[in-house]
Parts: sequence; structure tokens; C-alpha cells
Amino acid sequence: MMAAPLLTVRNLAISAGGRAITTGTNLDIARGETIAIVGESGSGKSLTAKAIGRLLPPGVSARGSIVYNGIELMTLPKREMRQMRGRRLSLMLQDPFTMLNPLMKSGLHVAEMLRDRSEFRDRAALKAEVARRLGEVGITDADVAERMPFQLSGGMSQRVAMAAALARDPELLIADEPSTALDVTTQAEIIKLLKRVQQARGMSLVLITHNLRLAFSTCDRIYVLYAGSLLEVGSARAVEEDPFHPYTLGLLLSEPPADKRVPKLIAIRGKVPRADEVAGRCVFADRCDWAEDECRAATPALAETSAGRFTACIRRRQIAAEMRALRGAALEAESALASLEPSISPIVRAANVVKNFAGRRGRVVQALKGVSIEVRPGESVGLVGESGSGKTTLGRTLVGLETPTSGGIEIAGIDASNFAVMNAADRAETRRTIQMVFQDPYSTLNPRHSVRTSLREAIRTSGRFSDQQVDARIAELLREVGLPESYAERRPASLSGGERQRVAIARSLSVNPKVLVCDEPVSALDVSVQAQILNLFKRLQQELGLSYLFITHDLAVVRQVAERIYVLYLGEIVEQGPAEEVIGRPQHPYTKRLIDSIPR
Amino acid sequence: MSLHLDSAKPEGAPRATMSVAMVLAFVVVAIVVICAFFGASIAPDSPFTQRLDIGDVPPSAQFLAGTDLLGRDVLSRVIHGAWTALVGPVVVAAGAFSIATVLGLLSGYLGGMVDSVIMRWVDFMLALPTPLVAIVVVGVVGGGYWTAVFVLVILFTAPDTRIVRSAVLEQRPRPYIDAARALGISKTRILVIHILPNVLPIILAYVVLDFAFALVNLAGLSFLGLGVEPGTPDWGRLLFENRTILFTNPVALLLPAGSVILTAVSMNLIGDWLFARLTR
Repeated sequence: MMAAPLLTVRNLAISAGGRAITTGTNLDIARGETIAIVGESGSGKSLTAKAIGRLLPPGVSARGSIVYNGIELMTLPKREMRQMRGRRLSLMLQDPFTMLNPLMKSGLHVAEMLRDRSEFRDRAALKAEVARRLGEVGITDADVAERMPFQLSGGMSQRVAMAAALARDPELLIADEPSTALDVTTQAEIIKLLKRVQQARGMSLVLITHNLRLAFSTCDRIYVLYAGSLLEVGSARAVEEDPFHPYTLGLLLSEPPADKRVPKLIAIRGKVPRADEVAGRCVFADRCDWAEDECRAATPALAETSAGRFTACIRRRQIAAEMRALRGAALEAESALASLEPSISPIVRAANVVKNFAGRRGRVVQALKGVSIEVRPGESVGLVGESGSGKTTLGRTLVGLETPTSGGIEIAGIDASNFAVMNAADRAETRRTIQMVFQDPYSTLNPRHSVRTSLREAIRTSGRFSDQQVDARIAELLREVGLPESYAERRPASLSGGERQRVAIARSLSVNPKVLVCDEPVSALDVSVQAQILNLFKRLQQELGLSYLFITHDLAVVRQVAERIYVLYLGEIVEQGPAEEVIGRPQHPYTKRLIDSIPR
Repeated sequence: MSLHLDSAKPEGAPRATMSVAMVLAFVVVAIVVICAFFGASIAPDSPFTQRLDIGDVPPSAQFLAGTDLLGRDVLSRVIHGAWTALVGPVVVAAGAFSIATVLGLLSGYLGGMVDSVIMRWVDFMLALPTPLVAIVVVGVVGGGYWTAVFVLVILFTAPDTRIVRSAVLEQRPRPYIDAARALGISKTRILVIHILPNVLPIILAYVVLDFAFALVNLAGLSFLGLGVEPGTPDWGRLLFENRTILFTNPVALLLPAGSVILTAVSMNLIGDWLFARLTR
């Protein structure tokens, strides 16, 4: 099925200071083929890409063989390797904002790559070529080449970077999470563009991503990498239809479906391990429902089950039927209808909220242009929008972290428009009513405080518990968010992302709030952990009767948790209504674009 | 060397590795501290006993570092000199940073008018040349060593305030501060319980560096006759007193000079080492 491969990677083992990061990865990429390396954080996917380009950071070393078109790259002299980069294989990295040199005009990034070609000695010819190259990535505005990177949007920067990576006409492009840092709608455009360029040039493409759905929709073949080991390899269609490895199945099941609302997501338990923690056994055994003693006895090899399909699961034959049944049940699950109780009066009411920020040179930036929303008791409301839409500003305004320029906010009947002028009792009452969960699990907890210190402080501030009750309350909070009591003595540094977010949720619950404002609480988490946290939110809502304002850019996430949705675009609510209706029959063009950009 | 890959961070404290230079730096500082507190029992002789009959002699078995013009034992004077080399700089570093921490926390966290007033004062202070102001003030006001220490505390406060403020500004936008504010925790508690522990490592590292600067400055003032009382065993003062016997007993000059340099370099090394360890 495969012609002579363009790139063959054999037994690529990456390690840092004696610690294994990946163990013996094998990859094959044919000419014109698109493959995806799918993995969560710590899987070693980015370092694998860098190892192929021999661009590993200092202290990290690789062993094995990388044969590119008959040339062994691992032993190639540095000079010749430099010649290979850009011309034969090119790399495109994740963050569009730091990838471009901030002091170079965007056109110069492309011109730099063309300079050593004799046909572009002439300045006019070079300029024309740069324009043509930018045109290829969809930049038709000639002005863009003259702009500095800081004047470009994220999507534009990524296009310029793509043009630069393609300027020497490489036969192979390695794109490391090229769309992750971008807005949803821009993400879809960049991926579409990447795919179009790849097809037009007949180029090979390695897409490195954490998003399984994106990999299925873009790539011919999939490599699933987990904790440094390949667990499954196969054609995208075959893997999507019938995953052989429990991890792949788990990933597929834990992704919130965009087309329906399920009562409970199927989550993979536990957290993503480091490669050296799980050496000498099946790397997934600790989180696998089907693991037996034989899985822990030795590291299973990646074995070919049928033409082009490999799996590292030694129990595949025994568990295949069970896995299919589980998948089938998940696919056929009825969409659970969200219940709406419109009669109750709202607990959070924002009316015509305007928030201006002072921009550069005294210019006024309008983050919110008269936004009105309502959240009723026990209700979960989604606030959807992309970066710059003002969604985070609105959330911060509701909990009193920002003061609106004009407009009114009422929390549980108390006017909470301006925390500075409220009396102390009202302010305390409002803070006990509405709390916030923040996006970044890595900085949401004070790094110097143990979990107990953080929670104790929050509990004491609420003034609802006597000193004797505090310890019992800490234990209760940890139990509620599904953490063992022993975690109270831990510091944030020894917690995983998911665990930190659980502690952050416990902290916001410590005052017994009625409303939680959740600002992208799962977007920084690994896919397999996302589902756990979303389930936690659902359970807490049932048990504690909480209301949520769920701020997110991810429609699939919002569909799982929210009964009603507000779509925020450039500081204005452009669409609102029951979740099913907004996602099923979007009216506003922006909402339509959002829904179209979900990879399927 | 530890590496940060993806989000996997090394757990627990990083392994302590220390170069030979670092070990030596700690040894030097330890010796200075011991001399400062137990100088009287360590020194072979009293630092004040004069032997006008022998005058200045080069090192011998009796006087390991020779004697000065008045026949006083140089080694004993240097050992006793560790006291003023330690106590003044410690007071300067601790004093300056105590004030700077309060000002920096207020300025960085509150912003607005408070920030403007404090920072304009800092700008003004930074425009003054430290050694010159010290010379003028101590020269005019008098009062010797402790006036010099006091002047240095005030002068050092300005740059230190900037350091604390910038460290606070780095912490201020972090979500854990927002979370504390959303919970209704008071400003004072946020400053003391949340921000201070996170900027303390940076402060500690700079305190050590301040010590080194203060030591050099105080020794300089003493050399100019503006520090300690004449006759006091003090490294800067020893340099001044013994400059005339450079050719008869060079050790009388080299020993205090070397002590100042070694102690200052050691403290600088320790400061850098602390900074790298505490702030990563």
C-alpha cells in the first residue's frame, strides 16, 4: 500500500538526563501523505518532531535512526543538516505570537528564506515572489508584507509563518499544534489552508496535535503516542471506526460530543503519567479498565494486527467485543434534554453592562457594549465567544473584579454594580453568593500555600464556619471534588493540572456559593482529564444545586454543561437561547461560523 | 541541570549542587562571622596594645601579619575589624529592604497615586550619586560609622523599592490573586499572606547583594576618614592608617584590602546563587 517512504524513523528514543521521554518510536511517511501524531501533554510528541529536525533543546538527546529519502539524518554533519532544514523538511511551531521575529517585517521572514536563490537576486523579483508566497497562504493584501508581527492577528501570524516554512519548497512539513493557540474559527481556516497547500504541492505533512477529531478529519494515518510510547497506528478511518487500543477508545469517548448532550461523559480515570514512571509495563495499564497482570509484566510491543494497523494492546482479542459495545452504546446514547425552568426569577442579572478600558494613546477600548444576561437558580448558562469578545471581562465584572463603566449588576437581589460603594454586609453576602473558577490551573493556586492553607483561608473569610469546623470542612470540600483527604498537605507543584483545577473548584465552593462563574475551566487540561472535570461540574450542580456561568470558546463543552447559551461577539450578545436550539439552528452568521469550525 | 518539558515539572526540590567557588564563598563568610563574634578569643593579641619601641615590622613568628606604625598586631586588628565589616552592612541591607518591602508592596499592589508618589521619590533618590551623598552628609553632620550606616539605609531603599515593586507587579495579575480578591480577602492579607511569600525569595537574594555593596561603601567611607573613630579596628580604616607603611610591611595593607574584596565577592556569589535557586 505504501510507496518508498519519504521518511523512516526507527527506534527513536529521546531522553533528558537519563530520564526516558520516548521509547523506540517508529514512523513511516510516504510522499504526499499526511500523518498525525496524537498525544497529550508529556507524551513526547513535540520532542519527536524536534528530534526529526535535529532541533532538540540542550540536555535532551535522541538515539535511533531517521532516514530521509535514503539519507541518515542522525549522523549527518551539522552543515548538511542545516541544508536539509527548510529545503527538504520544514518545521512549523505552535505559538504564532513568538514564532516571528518581533523586529522583522512579516514579508522579510519569507524573503529571508528565498535570499540564497539566484533567481531572486533582483529586488523586484524577490518582492514579487514574497507576494506570491503570501498569496499562497491566503494573504492577498500586499500591505501585510510591510507590517510588523505585532500588527498581525494570531491567524495572520500563523499564515506568515506557514509561508516562511514553505518558502524553500520542502517535501515534508512538520506542523506542531499549528492551530491550538488560535481562536476556534481561525483554527479551522488554518487547518483547511494547511491541507489545501499540502494537496496542491503533493507535500508530506506531519501534524502534531492533541485533538483526535482534528487528526481524523485531516490526516491519512494516525500515530497515537502516550507517555512516550506508540499505542496505536493505523489509517484515520480505521482507527476512528474501530479503535484497537483502550487508550484511543478512551480518548474518543472522553471528548465531549458536539452533536448531543450526554448525561455523563465517559472519562479516563487518573492522570497522564511521565514516561519513566510507567517503564517496564504497558504505559496505560494504570488507567485501563481491562488491565490484567500480564499488562504489567512487560512493555507490550507495537504489533501488526492487520495490514498497516498496529496496536500495543496485548489483550485486544479478548476485549475487542467489549470495547465495540461500549463505543456503540456511547454513539447511540440519546441526547439528554436540558430542563428549563424559566419561571424562577434570576439570581444573577446584568443589564446593559458597558466596560471600557483605556487603550494606547488615550483611545478607549470597548470590551463590553451593553451586555444583558440572566442566570436563574440551579441553571447552567454558557457564554460562548472567542478571545477579544469580552467574555472574560463580563465574568470578572460579575464577581466584582472589574467595575462596569455603566449598567447594572444584581446578584441575589443585591445591587452589585460597584463593589467599592457597597456596604460591607452586602459585599460579603455577594461574595458568598457568586464565586469564580479560573482558566489556568498552573497559576490559579498560590504556589507557596499548601492545599490546606488555601482552603482554610477561603473558609475563614466566608465567616460561616467556626475554627473547630474548618478542618472538617476542608475534608468535606476535598471529598466533594473527588480528591483524597491526604491532598490537603500537598503544594500545587506536586499536583497535576486536573488536580489543581479540582482544588481551585474546592476553594470557590468553600463559601457555599450559589453561582459559579467558570472561565474556560477545562481548556488548559488534557483531553482525558477534561471529561473528569466536566463530570465533576455536572455532579456538583446536582448535589449542591449550583448555578453556572460557563465561559468558553468550545461549543462541544458548552453543550454538555449548559442549558442556555449566550453568544458574545465583539462585546455584544449576538444570539441567545436554549443550548439545543442555538447549536442546532444557529441564526447569527457568527454562530454559524463557530459551529462550522468544529472538526468532524 | 533540570529541564522543563511540556508541563512535566521535576518534583521535589532540585538536587543541590555547589561548585568549589560556592563552597569557598560560604567558608569565607563563615570565617568573617566567627571573627566578628568571637574575635576577642581568636585574636592572638589585643588590637589596641601599642609597641612604639618596635614600630612597624614585617610578618614574623610573633606577629603573623606584622605590626603597624604604632606597633599594634595587624592580624588582631583585622580579626577585630570583622565586627564593623559585618554589623554595618547587615543593618544597611536589612534596614533598606525592610523599608523597600513595605513601599514596594504598596506601590506595586495599590498602583495609582500611591505608586506615583513612591516611584517619583525613588526616581529622585536614584538621581543622587550614592558615595558622594554619603561623603557630604557624613562629612557635614558627623557622627561617624552609624551616621554612614543610616545614610546608606536611606540611599539603598530607593533601588530596592524598585526591585520589590517589579516582583509584586509580576504576581499581581496572577489568577490566585484574583481568586483571593473574589473571595473577599482583605488587601492587607493579600499583600502579606499571598504576595509577600512569593516575592520573598527575590528579596532575600537582593539583601545579600546589598550587603556586599554596603560593605564596600562603608569601607570606602572609613578609608576617607568618614566612618569609624580613628583607632577603631576597621578594614577601611586599616587601609587608611597603614597606607604609609606599604613598603615596610605590605601585609598590613594587603590583609584588610583582601578581606574586603574576598568578603564582598563571596557575598556577591552567594547572592547570585540564592537568586538562581530561589527564583526559578
